[in-house]
Amino acid sequence: MRFEEYYEPDTIEECSRLLIKFGDHAKLLAGGTDLVPKLKNKIWHPQAVIGLFGIPGMDAITVSEEGLTLGSLAVLRTIQKDSEIGEKYVAVREACGHVSSLQVRNIATIGGNACNASPSADAVEGLLIHNAVCDIYSAEGERKVPLCEFFTGPGKTVLKTGEILRGFFVPAPKPHTGCAYKKYTIRGDSDISIVGAGARVTLGEDGKVADCRISLASVAPTPLISSKTEEFLIGKELTKDVIAKAGDIASGNIRPITDARGTAEYRVEMVRVWTRHALEEAYERAQNN
Amino acid sequence: MKIENEEELRGRKEYSLTVNGRKVMVFVHPSKTLLEVLREDLDLIGTKCGCDDTNCGVCTVLMDGHPVKSCTILIPQAAGHTILTIEGLEAAPDNLHPLQQSFIDHTAIQCGFCTPAMVLTAKAILDENPHASEEEIREGLHGNVCRCTGYKQITEAIMAVRDGEYGDFLQWEEVNHK
Repeated sequence: MRFEEYYEPDTIEECSRLLIKFGDHAKLLAGGTDLVPKLKNKIWHPQAVIGLFGIPGMDAITVSEEGLTLGSLAVLRTIQKDSEIGEKYVAVREACGHVSSLQVRNIATIGGNACNASPSADAVEGLLIHNAVCDIYSAEGERKVPLCEFFTGPGKTVLKTGEILRGFFVPAPKPHTGCAYKKYTIRGDSDISIVGAGARVTLGEDGKVADCRISLASVAPTPLISSKTEEFLIGKELTKDVIAKAGDIASGNIRPITDARGTAEYRVEMVRVWTRHALEEAYERAQNN
Repeated sequence: MKIENEEELRGRKEYSLTVNGRKVMVFVHPSKTLLEVLREDLDLIGTKCGCDDTNCGVCTVLMDGHPVKSCTILIPQAAGHTILTIEGLEAAPDNLHPLQQSFIDHTAIQCGFCTPAMVLTAKAILDENPHASEEEIREGLHGNVCRCTGYKQITEAIMAVRDGEYGDFLQWEEVNHK
């Protein structure tokens, strides 16, 4: 057997209690696209698997003036096709749309993509670009953690025993904001990215950068925010030279590894290129918003 | 159902789902995948097992109308849902779904192993967007691998159905998939 026991709690509190009871010997099941292959390939052999489908409201998507609330079980394809999200939270839509194939997007969830904590997670990048905050529940107390502080290493997050990622809050973008997420692969979206690059640019009245975010995938042990690049961009007009310099800075502040998809040296060069592409697109969109 | 010994029964649960229009109940361990239940418990071997690792897409079935890879879905995830496999697509052996007929006519089949999944994914693409462009069809098929690399004929077969060469496929489904 791939695991011994299966539970499907009706409430999030019951789920948290189960997690406390089993500790490291339980795994949560959302869309299963990361969990099930790990079970089948015997990478994990948990005593218990806990399905989250019985908990009401876990897949809710609500858009309000303040922002977007996503339940952890919101399916990537549902998010990708939601017209309200597509209009305002462009990078969220783009990033969800870049995850693997149609079949995977039809069942994989946004919370699962975060909790799997892969450095190459695409859907997470969209949320990072938009400054999402994690809503974490435990029977022993709730807390909010900015998504950029959620990851601690490959497959590792800040979640403690008994804690469940209930969902995300994504603040509504300010006026004159543009976002973009770019995924660079050899074989399209089914492939894991060589690098991923995302940008958010908010322009001030003077047309200069008032606020920005540069987020990178597959170039460090966790999804990476390039704060050095952001510091450089604030207050600048996004000329061709400035955008090129931003690419240089971003490529100098990563910790890539060499793997089947690319060497560390190649990734440095590709971050330079794709940061530029993401910034150019985000800037163009910001000017039109 | 074969039951060898008590050990095998441990942890098994009842799951009900609708497969090809019929309500079915299975009594299996929750760690079984939908693919395993379809092939081993329901004898629906039209759904193939390829890489068994979410890559190749030959295990694609439609769950509530959406294509999913059945090798990566545990049976509790499918419980209560509606599954369509290739066996549920034709109305009768002499009344194939327009996509099936078109695949035959366009020789969109070489070894045939990826075909059930290709046809089902194609159905989902056209059901959602009856005017899907060639690019949209190819993008939709991204998760389906054909080792004979017959993508050109496959795409042509789907486009022929889209263009009405096999009548109104939505109407065919309405009449035959009651």
